Amino acid sequence: MGYPSVERRRVLAAAALGREAGVPGSGEGDPLRAVMGDILDISPHLITIETPEGAEERLVIAPWATAWHGGDQAPSDLPVGSTVIMRTLRDGRVVERLWADITRLTGTILSVEGRKDLSVQLDCGPHRGRRTIVIPYRATGRIMVRHARFEPGFLFDAIGIRKGEASLALLPATSQPAYPARAVPAPPPAYGGLQSRVSGTATWSDVFDEEDRGAAYPMVERSDVDCPDAEVSCTGLPYLALGSMLQVRNICTDRSANVPIVACGCVAGRFCDRCVECDTSPRGRIAELSPFSYVELGGDLVKGCFNAQIGLG
Amino acid sequence: MTLVLASQLPALIVLLVLGAVAKVSTVRSGGEMGTLARLGPAALVPARIEVPVLVVCAVGELVIATGLLVSTSPIFRWMAVAFFAMCTYVLLEVRRRRPDAGCGCFGEVSAAPVGLRSIARTVALTGMAVLSLWAEGPGWPVFMQPSWFMAAGVVVLLVLSPELEEMVDRLRYRAPCEQRPGPAMEVTLARLRSSGPWRQHHEQLAAVEPYDSWRELCWRFFAFERRDGADVVFAVYLSGRRPAVRVAVVDHEDSGALPVYTPVSA
Repeated sequence: MGYPSVERRRVLAAAALGREAGVPGSGEGDPLRAVMGDILDISPHLITIETPEGAEERLVIAPWATAWHGGDQAPSDLPVGSTVIMRTLRDGRVVERLWADITRLTGTILSVEGRKDLSVQLDCGPHRGRRTIVIPYRATGRIMVRHARFEPGFLFDAIGIRKGEASLALLPATSQPAYPARAVPAPPPAYGGLQSRVSGTATWSDVFDEEDRGAAYPMVERSDVDCPDAEVSCTGLPYLALGSMLQVRNICTDRSANVPIVACGCVAGRFCDRCVECDTSPRGRIAELSPFSYVELGGDLVKGCFNAQIGLG
Repeated sequence: MTLVLASQLPALIVLLVLGAVAKVSTVRSGGEMGTLARLGPAALVPARIEVPVLVVCAVGELVIATGLLVSTSPIFRWMAVAFFAMCTYVLLEVRRRRPDAGCGCFGEVSAAPVGLRSIARTVALTGMAVLSLWAEGPGWPVFMQPSWFMAAGVVVLLVLSPELEEMVDRLRYRAPCEQRPGPAMEVTLARLRSSGPWRQHHEQLAAVEPYDSWRELCWRFFAFERRDGADVVFAVYLSGRRPAVRVAVVDHEDSGALPVYTPVSA
């Protein structure tokens, strides 16, 4: 059974239960907007990009803006031609943070090869396939110290940059969970019934479509999404469906937004880790956001996670 | 005296069968969740032969149970003694090498770490098996003549079973419906088809099969197309034998909700 239109589900469900259908979008506060494109020209104060639709856009770079391209840099040092995601203010005109060629490498280790530069094959879940990544020698120390079991069957999560066809892992995105990927601990027993808000960590992933706003959620019924790895989480999450609206709140920046569930978070559910972005979060990844949603909620792509709270929007 | 010797056979047989059934159902349901790595003998062997080990264990139990039930051959009785003695050893080894692992004696119900009670239970079972070595008849006649010795054996086993408390706790603190795996979609669809709202609407539907179905919290939704192009959506509650069913008709062009019928319960 396909999903003719997952947006339609929201309308139908709201009609059947007699409730309001949630609308995607951010809540109160000075809105942040994420903008993405390929750099055509960059100077200390101005950046010209080509958006994925092919339009050309000029944006002002704020004096306090910072950039990341494998390491912190001045915005004007970014190479022309690289793909940038930017956090912007004032309706998408003023840039305050730039991430160039950033990518996230999340999955289960299948094989590790090489002596200096390591070549790692990752299983990124049933929808995302396999991916071969390279850990350059200078980054192996940082990555290995956070991945104690660097062997097949264990989880891997790192942030890096795309260089041509290759993906280089540079920074660890989490402390690797100590269990094998197929032995996720069971959620704690639910004593007091269902909580209306669930806390945990929210991460991002770059496997969503470009400029997509949405989230991958682990607790979706297997038969609904045709995904044999779903329904796994170490947090007591309620079942939701593709198309359900999730209200995600970033506790660190106190921003919230309604984000539709657009994918099955079967890899995110296997991570029973914490986020220490602003405080120590409870265990478990409760949502994996698209880069746009993540940036607009005030998250830093390099940090890899923020402490989050979700509710049904 | 013969009564005493044979009296423990029923308890042994029932326990062996229960153990086999529980192990097989755990392998069938929990195999891919990776929970096996935390269960008894499977915790001691490499991951790829976890499932075969549990299955072989279950088959062995069934063979011994059948042998004890119908035959008087000493082979089965010695097998029972050897089996329970080996279990005792395995549990001691699990406790020493994997203090976090459960005994797995009754599949995933026995997920609590191996304690002295589980070990005492296998010791008691070994003792019972030794006692049965000298019994005269096969196991099945003893089922017909229950005795006080048999009841005493059962009480000892119950006292030594941590799984009982686990089951009571599971019944008392069941996860809320929103977090429980729901019944299969076909079951829910069958419940919908026996409900009042379905009878009201099904004649106007263009097809008998839904074009979309999804689960949200404790509700499963089925979307059908009506002959005039509008959508009919049914919401079936996932808990209970005769669950609540709600229905709404939504115009196709209309993106806003237009509930035409008031909620109806089956």
